[in-house]
Amino acid sequence: MTDPVSAALGLGGYQPLVPALLLGVTALLVLLVDTIWPNEQSNTLLATVTIAGSLASLLVAGAQLFLSPEAATLFDGQLIVDGMSLFFTVIFTSVTALVALASHDYIAERPNQGEYYALVVLAATGMTLLASANSLVTAFVSLELASLPSYALVAYLKDNRGSAEGSLKYLLIGGLSSAVFLYGISLVYAVTGTLKLTEIATVLDAGIDGSLTGVLGIGIVMILGGVAFKTASVPFHFWAPEAYEGAPAPIAGFLSSASKAAGFVLAFRVFLTAFPTSAVAGVDWVLAFEVLALITMTLGTFAAATQEEVKRMLAYSSIAHAGYALIALGALTGAADRLLVGAGMLHLLVYGFMNTGAFLFIALAEQWGIGRRFEDFNGLAKEAPVACTAMSLFLVSLAGLPFGGGFVSKYFLLLGTVLSSSYLLAAALIVNSALSVYIYARVIKAMWIEDPVPGRTIEEYPTGLYAAVVVAAVVTVLLLPGLALFTDPAQLASNALF
Amino acid sequence: MAGPLEFAPAIAALPFVSFVIALFFGRYMPKKGALAGITATGGSLLLAVWTYFAVMGNGEPHTEHLHTLVSVAEPFSLELGILIDQLSALMLLIVTLISFLVFVFSLGYMNDEGETGLPRYYAGLSLFSFSMLSFVMASNLFMAFMFFELVGLCSYLLIGFWFREDAPPSAAKKAFIVTRFGDYFFLIGVVGILATFGTSAFIGTGGTESFPALAEHALTGSADHVHTFGFDPQTWFTILALLVLGGVMGKSAQFPLHTWLPDAMEGPTPVSALIHAATMVAAGVYLVARMYGFYALSPTALAIIAFVGGFTALFAATMGVVKREIKQVLAYSTISQYGYMMLALGAGGYVAGVFHLTTHAVFKALLFLGAGAVIVAMHHDEDMWKMGGLKNELPVTYYTFLAGSLALAGIIPFSGFWSKDEVLYEALRLGLNDPVFMAAYAMGLIAVFFTGFYTFRMVFLTFHGEPRTNIAESPHQYGWNMKAPLVVLGALAVVVGLINMAPLAKLTGMDLTYLHHWFEHGGELLTVEHYHHLLTEVSGVHHVESSTGLMLGSGALSLGLALAGVAVAHVLYNVPSPEEHTDKLGSIKTVLFNNYYQDEYQVWLAEGLTANVARAANTFDQGVIDGAVNGVSSVSLFAGERVRKVQTGVVTNYAALLTAGLVVLLVAMGLLGGWF
Repeated sequence: MTDPVSAALGLGGYQPLVPALLLGVTALLVLLVDTIWPNEQSNTLLATVTIAGSLASLLVAGAQLFLSPEAATLFDGQLIVDGMSLFFTVIFTSVTALVALASHDYIAERPNQGEYYALVVLAATGMTLLASANSLVTAFVSLELASLPSYALVAYLKDNRGSAEGSLKYLLIGGLSSAVFLYGISLVYAVTGTLKLTEIATVLDAGIDGSLTGVLGIGIVMILGGVAFKTASVPFHFWAPEAYEGAPAPIAGFLSSASKAAGFVLAFRVFLTAFPTSAVAGVDWVLAFEVLALITMTLGTFAAATQEEVKRMLAYSSIAHAGYALIALGALTGAADRLLVGAGMLHLLVYGFMNTGAFLFIALAEQWGIGRRFEDFNGLAKEAPVACTAMSLFLVSLAGLPFGGGFVSKYFLLLGTVLSSSYLLAAALIVNSALSVYIYARVIKAMWIEDPVPGRTIEEYPTGLYAAVVVAAVVTVLLLPGLALFTDPAQLASNALF
Repeated sequence: MAGPLEFAPAIAALPFVSFVIALFFGRYMPKKGALAGITATGGSLLLAVWTYFAVMGNGEPHTEHLHTLVSVAEPFSLELGILIDQLSALMLLIVTLISFLVFVFSLGYMNDEGETGLPRYYAGLSLFSFSMLSFVMASNLFMAFMFFELVGLCSYLLIGFWFREDAPPSAAKKAFIVTRFGDYFFLIGVVGILATFGTSAFIGTGGTESFPALAEHALTGSADHVHTFGFDPQTWFTILALLVLGGVMGKSAQFPLHTWLPDAMEGPTPVSALIHAATMVAAGVYLVARMYGFYALSPTALAIIAFVGGFTALFAATMGVVKREIKQVLAYSTISQYGYMMLALGAGGYVAGVFHLTTHAVFKALLFLGAGAVIVAMHHDEDMWKMGGLKNELPVTYYTFLAGSLALAGIIPFSGFWSKDEVLYEALRLGLNDPVFMAAYAMGLIAVFFTGFYTFRMVFLTFHGEPRTNIAESPHQYGWNMKAPLVVLGALAVVVGLINMAPLAKLTGMDLTYLHHWFEHGGELLTVEHYHHLLTEVSGVHHVESSTGLMLGSGALSLGLALAGVAVAHVLYNVPSPEEHTDKLGSIKTVLFNNYYQDEYQVWLAEGLTANVARAANTFDQGVIDGAVNGVSSVSLFAGERVRKVQTGVVTNYAALLTAGLVVLLVAMGLLGGWF
């Protein structure tokens, strides 16, 4: 079915793809602008185009989501646009807009701006397509489309050793993980003879030859490995601390929020659609996710506790949060599946704002050149109260205290674990959250309580960065009542996938 | 059609709007927020009147679901909703009327006296009205608890209004902490009721039943959907009822949680009127009436309520005898009168209890506002021994105050007589069958004498005799905004008792028990007949048959005692220069003046016992818990340090670890799944 606007644009049946198409066109526009004025500083125009494009995509995706469309499949079932893909598109585009807004100040003095914005938008396009991927091969192509620009973006500060080193490690580990993922796909194809997710489920439902269970199992675990790389879950996380630390701070925010969410949408889509637990009796992937969730959140939290640099602490906290979101898959026992998946989606939504915001604050600190260690942030609140208030909000929300949406999504996750009797995960969630309060409080204490570093003066207050930080903070806070009062995670997940 | 009941939420919403206006814009407004409050409560009053008549015409209770807070169907969901029935419609009328008059009175008491911080004052009053009205309309116990707490918060804010002085903040804290102590039990009760019944609704809607109805089914037949945690249902329901009663006793200042109320007199006098007549203290009794279908199922809880009520009525009345300050006398009379209401409800007199709540709201608001007028006239001196002879100087205040006093003392035909008489009559009818209720009745009866005495001691000392100070000779005069509320309430104090003249009805055979008929309508499970059915059929509580002789005898007895109390006060104090006759009581006076050392033992509880327990807990916390926590954190940091070491920075190590991790995962999964 086509509406008149799509028909007029010649979109025909591709109307559900408008958010992804908008992003793709935006990337081309950015390159076009850069081609026409290659030598001039067209930073503002480039940022404007990027922000406008991602906001337009956000608007369309949001509208489609609210009008709750029927799920639409395209290209013979290769792509599917449903509640899940639209929900994640909203996350990706929001983060892209925030990152582009903040980057306007961050890269103002640096070369190759056109490439920077184009790569960001191309990565976002890949993520959006990944959210809609309905077959393993589309998923792989989209995953690469999302990953390749990311490698380049981490290396954007190419005269900086950390940036180049982080990028190379990211690329190498990424290559290894892609290989694992691809090999997993081939094994699953070998067993089922199809790449489409729904058809895989049909084949598995009908039952496979018992001797092939091992092959299928290895395939599924390897696919799980590919997902774990993208979500930076232990033991596929090694790239993350160094890539996040070396990357420009807005890019670190982009990778740890949007790219991580892309990994999760892939996981939700593939495992819930293609490998329903009822159909793959011999392959207990729920247990695998439970183990990954436990290790990831614990290791992330413990490693974050001993860091001396704020950005690296955030990198590990981002790993811990991947562990929390993995609960959505690791606690599926049939008792509260929808609640869990919905809670995981909501956690990623909130995380998209609070984590991006925290990294953007780091970008601000890098702009000021105040250093990376906890002590360097001492007394910063006296000089930059607005930014420090926003940062404190991000941190308490990350910790799961009821000042931001992070409280609600963690609460839903906890509720899900309890209802599905996954008490180990529930205990791990509580213990790690409690420990994380200490970790985040160190930053807050440094900013508000310690005496200012002598001789430090902040000369400029970059508007775009400030605006992005404040917007992220406002959304983080508003999500608290928004999610608590008006959202039912189980309903959300039902609309999205089930 | 949008009937009046559609607007019911606005009754509570209007004061909330005025709260916001007074808080943020009050300082820019001519009367600092008073006009917003008057408009809002006036609007609420009109809506409440409209609602009242709608309920009268319609008869059926109106329920409305507003919002679901936690929409988890299992084990229960938490909702906000509205229940307008005969009881809440009546209470809305009382609360809005008193609030409105208190706002008007405040114009004179606060604005004309040049107080500062008025926006805060009016914001507090508005929030107080909002909380109380929402509490009254609440459709379930959970919501009621929320607003019950909000009422407590508002009382804290208002009692401590003059926070720069020493006494008010301390009194505010005391009110907050003592009521919080009771509310602690209430909270457990709410959770218990939700866990037991899976609902806390006062009325069943659309297929779901209310929790009193479920409790009734559990006692009379099937206990299918009720979890009693291994207890006998009767025992368990009694426990739940008593837990909720904890909150009621705190808010309604029943012994031994009454100690906060006299101190609460530190707040501005209009606030005292609002707290004692219509809001905070009334909230407790109203809650018992609201869930009477539940209390009626437990004879034990009823007996405790009645006994505590009777005891409180007498106990507080004796303390009121020796007080020097006019508001202190009123404070103890309030405690005493709420004791009567509890006595009535405990003795199965649902109508009598609500009737006394109604009349008391009117005459006690009148007395407090009258006392406020006297205090303004006396330049904020509250000592009755410095007054005297004010009746010639303040005629309006005198006559209205006298009407209120006659009502309080229970002199025919003023309103208090009718309601108090019915309370005692209900207690007597039950007491003839059961000695516990007889004891409660006896205490209530003796308290009548003391009530008459202290009330008229107050009247005579304040208004009669010769002026004892210069100020009393030429008191400060005040404007219409303080007189008008007095006149309205004075008139009501005389006539409001006429809504339920049971003795007269019995005597003449005419149909004069309008309030009784009012409660015969309404939801099937919320009528007085149903409560009566529960009392007799389920709880086995039986009143002796009502007879004309018994009723008239009871009425004559209590009237006689009240008159005796008034007469003694007349002899002792209605002379030109009264003496402090209470000095003759010697050491008894000291005991009474110190309120039976109730405060002392509660302070001992707080400082001697609680503080020591807290200290011991602190030692335990510092040593054992903190030790454990510190241990855990050292271990965590050590482990974290180890984890950091894994991140070597060498990418080949990462690849190796990644691959190793994958292999471990594969092998483990394979062994578990039996792939090999």
